[in-house]
Amino acid sequence: MRTKITIRLAAGALAALALPALHAQDGRQTYEQKCAVCHAAGLAGAPRPGNAADWAPRLKAGKAAIYRNALQGTMRGMPPKGGNPDLPDAAVRAAADYMMAGAAIAAKPAARKAVAQAPAAAAAPSATAAATAPVAAKTEPGSGATQANAFNRLLRPPSRRNPPPAEDGIHDPAVDGTLQLQPPLAAFSSMPRSNAGNRVDWVKALAEEKIAPRWERDKPDSAAVVMDLNIVREVKGSMPDVVYPHKQHTEWLDCSNCHPALFVPQKGANQMSMAAILLGQGCGACHGRVAFPVSECRLCHSKKKDGITAGAAAPHGDTPR
Amino acid sequence: MTRPAARSWQLAALAAALAIAAFAAGTREARAEYGDVVMNAFSTEAGMRPVVFPHWFHRIRFRCKVCHGDLGIKFQAGGNQINMLKIIDGQFCGACHDGGMAWAVENCNLCHTGTPNLPTQVHESTIQKLIAPGQAKTAPAAKK
Repeated sequence: MRTKITIRLAAGALAALALPALHAQDGRQTYEQKCAVCHAAGLAGAPRPGNAADWAPRLKAGKAAIYRNALQGTMRGMPPKGGNPDLPDAAVRAAADYMMAGAAIAAKPAARKAVAQAPAAAAAPSATAAATAPVAAKTEPGSGATQANAFNRLLRPPSRRNPPPAEDGIHDPAVDGTLQLQPPLAAFSSMPRSNAGNRVDWVKALAEEKIAPRWERDKPDSAAVVMDLNIVREVKGSMPDVVYPHKQHTEWLDCSNCHPALFVPQKGANQMSMAAILLGQGCGACHGRVAFPVSECRLCHSKKKDGITAGAAAPHGDTPR
Repeated sequence: MTRPAARSWQLAALAAALAIAAFAAGTREARAEYGDVVMNAFSTEAGMRPVVFPHWFHRIRFRCKVCHGDLGIKFQAGGNQINMLKIIDGQFCGACHDGGMAWAVENCNLCHTGTPNLPTQVHESTIQKLIAPGQAKTAPAAKK
């Protein structure tokens, strides 16, 4: 009885206390079995473990970016998970940690040496190396303690926005197709960003021709039938009035998408409220589902009440509620 | 005699709780891309994983009007009753996923990638986050 208890206690304590140590050991094991093939020699520019010069520029982008690159792969040649789709994410991260840990320790003396040896002419690049290296080293031990008191604790940090399919919680990572799907960030990287939804400014992306979505299914060159008419809706309360632009909507949509099912095309015929929109009616058919959500108040409520912006008031067809 | 035994049980329980907490911290939560539509009108019943439709991917390639006007797909997750027969006949997804413009229906695992039993819903939508947040993860597929 007594021995059983002690065994159980020992096992429990081991599981709880030895996690960090296990993590490091796992990282080393994964590295040696999978990653070393390329990373040991730095094939095709792969960062070598413990090599401060290789890691310093990467650490500048943050650990999250390094993890993301390790998991999703990069354009420069890193395959997703190093070409081992069966490897658990935690193992990949542990391996990355193992490779980085050496670099962070080695970074300090390497940087100091660089500063000491640098002649005046070459001071700029080595100075940046010296500046980044200690920062990279500092984030290592301190990150756990500072995270508890970080700003916006409950907001999703940038590193966890637009996750790749295998990490988004709704795709099954066990399906081979999941790893073949394009990660959203790969598509969004060239597009203008916004603060909500996909964090892509779709209207701007279209205006700047960052994307060229087809207007007809099988005709790449067909053009949209755009109607440029703003509708101003006066709103109750203190919020600015809503300016509804037909232009940005008709660039994407056909008249029949909204009229008459969602909105009767007649002045005053459409009752609207934020509650109804939140429930998916009216504007909520798209806004809050696939277009920018209602958290972006000022994108719609954009016209000041007392006509301070002269000239905007007269020509618009005002739509009373 | 009882005291040290009780204490060691307490410690064991604490250690176990810590281990469970560490494990739970590592499990995934749903944080899908905004607008990803899970379609599960028939999949689970038919023994398949639900479909995850990446709205953003299609939006880069087509204006809304192509699917929601020309192809007649309604603005409502679960409102279209799409099944494989219709797709093979060239309706809905089948208008493009025909082996010509986009890959064809035999690539089951490129669409049917959802974790089993996910209900039909638009992910990260206002309704999912504010009005029915409990359903976000893995509610049973009782809902049609």
